[in-house]
This record gives sequence, C-alpha cells and structure tokens, in this order.
Amino acid sequence: MSSTLGVLSDAERLFIVHGVQDDLRSDGRACEDYRHVQVETDVVSNTSGSARLRLGNTDILVGVKAEMGEPDPGRPKEGKLEFFVDCSANASPEFEGRGGEELAIEVSNALQRIFNSRSTLDLTALCIIPEGQCWVLYVDVLVLECGGNLFDAVSLAVKAALFNTRIPTVVVTADDEGQQEIELSDDPYDVKRLDVDNVPLIVTLSKIGHRHVVDASWEEELCSLARLTVGVTQKGTIAGLNKEGSGSLDPESIYEMIESGKKVGMVLNSRLKEALEKEENSKREKIGFLG
Amino acid sequence: MAVHITLPESRKKSAAPDAPKHLVTPGDVITTDTGYMRGHGTYMDDDKLKASLAGVVERVNKLICVQPLKTRYNGEIGDVVVGRVTEVGQRRWRVDVNSRLDAVLMLSAVNLPGGELRRRSAEDELMMREYLVEGDLISAEVQAIFHDGALSLHTRSLKYGKLAQGLMVQVSPSLVKRRKTHFHNLPCGASVILGNNGYVWICPTVDDEKVESSGGYEQDLEPVPSTDREVIARLRNCILSLATHKLMLYDTSVLYAYEASRQYQVKDLLQPDIAEKVADDTRQRLQMESG
Amino acid sequence: MAGLEIISDQGYRIDGRRSSELRKVCARMGVFTQADGSAYIEQGNTKALATVYGPHEVRKGRGKIQHDRAVVNCQFSMATFSTGERKSRPKGDRRSQEMSMHLRQTFEAVIVTELFPRSQIDIYVQILQADGGNYCACVNAATLAVIDAGIPMKDYVCACTAGFIQDSPLLDISYVEESAGAPFLTVAMMPKSEQIVLLEMNSRLHADNMEKVLDLATQGCKDVFAVLDRHVRDHVSESHALMTAS
Repeated sequence: MSSTLGVLSDAERLFIVHGVQDDLRSDGRACEDYRHVQVETDVVSNTSGSARLRLGNTDILVGVKAEMGEPDPGRPKEGKLEFFVDCSANASPEFEGRGGEELAIEVSNALQRIFNSRSTLDLTALCIIPEGQCWVLYVDVLVLECGGNLFDAVSLAVKAALFNTRIPTVVVTADDEGQQEIELSDDPYDVKRLDVDNVPLIVTLSKIGHRHVVDASWEEELCSLARLTVGVTQKGTIAGLNKEGSGSLDPESIYEMIESGKKVGMVLNSRLKEALEKEENSKREKIGFLG
Repeated sequence: MAVHITLPESRKKSAAPDAPKHLVTPGDVITTDTGYMRGHGTYMDDDKLKASLAGVVERVNKLICVQPLKTRYNGEIGDVVVGRVTEVGQRRWRVDVNSRLDAVLMLSAVNLPGGELRRRSAEDELMMREYLVEGDLISAEVQAIFHDGALSLHTRSLKYGKLAQGLMVQVSPSLVKRRKTHFHNLPCGASVILGNNGYVWICPTVDDEKVESSGGYEQDLEPVPSTDREVIARLRNCILSLATHKLMLYDTSVLYAYEASRQYQVKDLLQPDIAEKVADDTRQRLQMESG
Repeated sequence: MAGLEIISDQGYRIDGRRSSELRKVCARMGVFTQADGSAYIEQGNTKALATVYGPHEVRKGRGKIQHDRAVVNCQFSMATFSTGERKSRPKGDRRSQEMSMHLRQTFEAVIVTELFPRSQIDIYVQILQADGGNYCACVNAATLAVIDAGIPMKDYVCACTAGFIQDSPLLDISYVEESAGAPFLTVAMMPKSEQIVLLEMNSRLHADNMEKVLDLATQGCKDVFAVLDRHVRDHVSESHALMTAS
C-alpha cells in the first residue's frame, strides 16, 4: 500500500522504545512473543521438498532440489548443502533488478553459518559413492513479502522444507567391468528422509532502548541499532552467533540476549516440529496460495 | 513467552451473496446512451461508455462512475488525511498520502509555532526544518488539487499539524467511511484519526487545551502510561482485523470491535481465528443495529 | 521420451486432455497485503504470482518521468526451483529481460496511463512452478493483479499458447509437449475487443496451418477470459457484500 516503509518520526520511535521498556509492544506483544506463524509444506512440485511460511507479514517460499554431484575433495564421504536466497521484487520495488542482492547475501550467509557445524545435518547420509558422487541439496529461498524479522522466518521455512525433502533411494551396483552404476529406485515411495532434529533455527534479538525484543516488526527494526542473530537447536545448543547493526552492545546485554534467544529458540523448534508432524499425520488437502 | 505455529486454514466462502445491482469488469459496456457524463473508472470507446475498473456502477444524476474495491487514494477537497513528510523543498514539503503522487504542503499553508499570523519571511524558509522534517507525520486537510492530480494540503486549523506519540496503521482508503468528522476521542481512552487516505493514527487522548496554546508544535515526550498503551494496542489490532475482513471503518465500528475484543488478551488478537471472531461479532452487532 | 505419443489414437493427450481443451485454471486475488494489488494463478501445473505497486511517485531515476502519462515498469522472474532442472539465475538473463519487455509493452497498451501523469506503475511477476505456458500464466496473473490494484484498463489481457503436432492444432501446450519440439504460438489478446496485443512464435510452422493454430489460440484466450472474469465477478461481489454489510 505504501512505498515509504522504512521511515518513522521521532515521536513514533519514542513511543515504541517506551513501550518496549514496559514490556508492552505496539501490537500488545511482550518482548519475547512471536507473531502468528503459518506453515505448509509440499507446495511446489518440481522440488524434492518445499515449504511456505508466513510470519506476520513476512512470506517465504523455500524449494529444495536434490541433484547428484561431486563431493568436496576435503569431505569425500559427505553430501553438500547449497543455499541461494532471492529477494523477489514482489516483496518490495526496492528489490527490483539487483536491489535485493545485498540483503539476499546477508540471509544466505546467516544460513551458511548455522549449517556449518557437523552435527546439524548428517551429510554422510547424502553420500552415494565416496569420492565419486553425492547428493547436493540446493536450498532455494524466495522472499515474497517482507514485514520484518526476515532471518527467523527464513530459517523456519528452510527447516520445514528440509523436513519435507524426500531423496530417492539409490542402489550402487558394479557392472562387469568393475565400473560403478547408480540406479535410482523407480518406486516414488521408496525415498529417504532427512533427520532434521538437530537443525537450528535463527532467533533475532533486537536491542531497543535498554531491553531487547524477538520477532521485531519493521517499525521496531527501525528503532533498533544493534541486533544479535543466534542459531538455536531443539536441545538448546547455540549454533552460530552474529552481531549486526551499527550500534554497540555491552557484554551483560549480550549474555542476556543469548539466554533469551536460547529459551525462545527451544520453544520455536518444538512448536515447529509439532506443526509439521500434525500436517504429516493429517493428510489434509494442500492450500498453497489459493487459501 | 508465546509462540504459535499453525497450519493454514482454507478461507470460508461466505454464503453466496446477492450479486450487486450493476457489476462491471474492465471492458464491459455500461451504456450506449450518449447523454451520460463519464466519471472515475469509465472511458469512451466510439460511442459506447465502457468500464475500466472492476466494481459497482454508481449513477448520480447524469454522472456514471465505477467504484472499485480498493485503489490508491483519490483525494477530494475537504478530506482529512494523515501523511508522512518525504521531502523538504523550497517553500514546501512533499507528503506521502498513499496517492499516486505525493501531496504538497506549502509553507504558507501551515500554522507558525505560537499561532502567529504573519507573512512568511526568508527566515521561515530557512527554518522549515525546525517545523517538519522527513519522516514526520502530520494530519491535514485537502485544500486543492493540482492539474496533474497531486493534492495541496493545509494545516491552518489547530486540530491539524504535526502528530506526536502514537502509532499509525495503513488500511485501504475505500474502507474509510466518509463522515462529518474524522477525529474521534473514543470513550475507551484513546484518540483516533481515520484519514480518508487510509492512514489511521491512534494516540493517547489529546488534551485539547494544551494543543491550542502551542499551535500544535509542542510535542509531549513523556512516556505514555501502560493503561493508555494497552488501549492503543488493542485499537490497533481491532482496526487491522476489521480491515482484513473488509468492514468499513468509522467511530461506531471501531468502538464495537473494541468492545467485542475485550474478552481476549491484546496479543491474542493477532491470531487469525480470534481476529475473525471479533470482526464477525462486530458485523453482527452493526447489522442488528441497522436492520 | 523417444516414441512418446503426444496424442494417443483415441485423441487424448499425455495429461488426458483433448486437443482443444484448456488446462484447469484456478486463481486468487489479493494474496499479499503490502502491495497495491496481487494475484496468483494456476494453469494446470504452472503456477505464477503477480504483484502490482502503484501508481506512485517515480522514486528512482527521475529521468523516467513522463509528463502526460504513467510509466509502466515490469519484471519477469522464475524461481530457481520452478523448472525440472534447477535454474541458476532467477532474473537478469536474456530471456527474462525479453519477457519483461513483452509484459511492459502489453500492459502499456492496455492500462489507461493518461490518467496518471508523472507517476509509475510496477508490475512484478514470478513463476513458482513452470510447466509450459509460463508467459501466458504471467500475463493472466498480472491482469488480475492490475484489476486488484484498482488501476483502470481498457480490457482484460488474456494469453494462451497453441501448437501443431501430428497434423492437429493443440491448445495450451504443457512443458512435455513443448519439449517434443512441436511448433507453437503464444498469443495475448484483449478478449472483449478481440485485439491481439502480442504474438510470438519461435519455430517453423507451415503457412497453411497458421490460421488454424491462431484461431485456436484466440479461442483459448477467450476461454481463459471466461474463467478469469467469473473469478473477478465473484471476488467483487463477495467483497462488496462484506463492505456494505456494515
């Protein structure tokens, strides 16, 4: 409706800052409350897995494509994960052409960071022939609408899409000349799923005044000079940490924010798991964008 | 700490409504009678009057126009608008009012601080930034319309001017009912300005006396008390839920929605099902009153 | 795929359609809240999203301003996961730029731009799933999005493809049929005035068959129009009822 999303008056800023101090944000939420999240998997078909997620006004679509490729020379017995983020012009005219590239790179880097650790996803399960062939999972993120808190929404959508990903079972046989042949199973139900229990979610904590909030709306993001993005797993392990923004944070605040992020992150993980399992067991009709 | 993750619900189709009297879509012939004048949403093709928008045809004497469901704001003289300053220019400010062109607020059309009445001097021109800068929100009235469609605003009455602490929500301009007054001091303890342009301003109840003495420039920077803040947050969520469910916005509908929402916590109004319930209750109450 | 019959002996295509049958069209207007207008369309397995911003002030590049009408700006993009084989660049490649330009020309002809001097209208389309008829789905989604945004147009713009395989004209080509190498035509037209705004063919078709294929394509456009118009009327009627009930 408006193309000036991105400016606030000083008085509006003050109102928001005071509200956060009182633990009563503009929309009635407390500092550690999230807006409503809606998730649905398997929404696009040319993919091995997909998910659409809405967090407030932020709308993310993720497609995962599994293709065969060569493993990294340093990690011959593992598959690979590659992230690509596209900030669609649909989300804002600012993203037209190359306008959304900078933001897309930031989000992509945040994802790389939390998936860096070995315990996140068992990449050896993606190996087909050691030093030969492996599965490469291309995780493509499409930002359709941007209403604040992009990182959290993207990580939620990525985890949901990975949960939905089905990789065809492969059989490796040696033919007469000793060459290895890879055969894909014909049966569409003969698939392998990924164990996403250890996949972390990103929680962004934005410092506003003397306190911090999670799930900042775009207005709150404008009032926050410093943010901490924390990767948190279901068990509460921290899987990546980054400070962003031009403001500074004192160590005390950082510890508080990390503790808060850990607490919220664990709940976020378990709620997402509940929703995904409910969807899987219910066999409901897909709604997609036609809802 | 609240985190809600749900699966999307398919939209409930309301009972087949009676088709409105004269519904047209772009390209439909409205009439071949040449006696009519063409208004918004129509165009002449040969001797036929055709529709260029999808909506309901309205006939006022000899003027035919088509009312669309939603559109950018089309200003009319006398409308009350809430706008955001986008540029400080020579002897004028440019203001975003959700229209196809930014509106213009001339230096000669604002009240000087202290309510002085005098010709604007060169000094005033240099001091424009002391009055309004980029990002400031103002309430104003449409004084005139330029030939290219841009609006000319004025804040020559004490009820208009720079807006202080509070928050703004954006809805479609077609949802704001044209009434005699758009400034409402609601009995629940907050004030609301329902701009014709779809920008709605919610703030703590204005103390009229205080405003008059300073000419509208003194800003109260004291923190807003929690009770007022809660009322404002509740109003915000109610207005957004009314807008999502396409109810017209005016003092009565907003008040009824507020009362219908009292049984829920403010932050619960962010859940789609609760927002729908509030909108439905409001609609029923309004229908009972009018029917 | 060799030896795969596009049309079986009984006259059925691979997806079970007849030769002059359109794929199922589902649409939804007003998918997003922050844009002025938006729409989503499914034509068979092809899924497209369109959003419209404007008319609004020209923010970037003041040189673009036209004093007597609005500037129409379009961008076509395909999600990297939309095609069977992953696409490495969603936009910016030559084909996308060509599609963007086609879209702009199409909508400049149809939108009543003289009503909005010195402003800009942005139309962004995104393909989420590509199964043939990508450009057509974009045009159809964009038409709905422009209507949703309340921007005046002279008429709808509906687009459809038609091809020629095994001596018969086929309507609404799917990706499988496209890859079989059959020549096909893409047509975009204003259905009520029967004016063609875009015509494109990238392969060889015998002049004798041209008329049949073009006729089929224009008929297809009118079929698409019937579905879209029904949807717009239902949407307006429902929303109008909601708004006037208060």
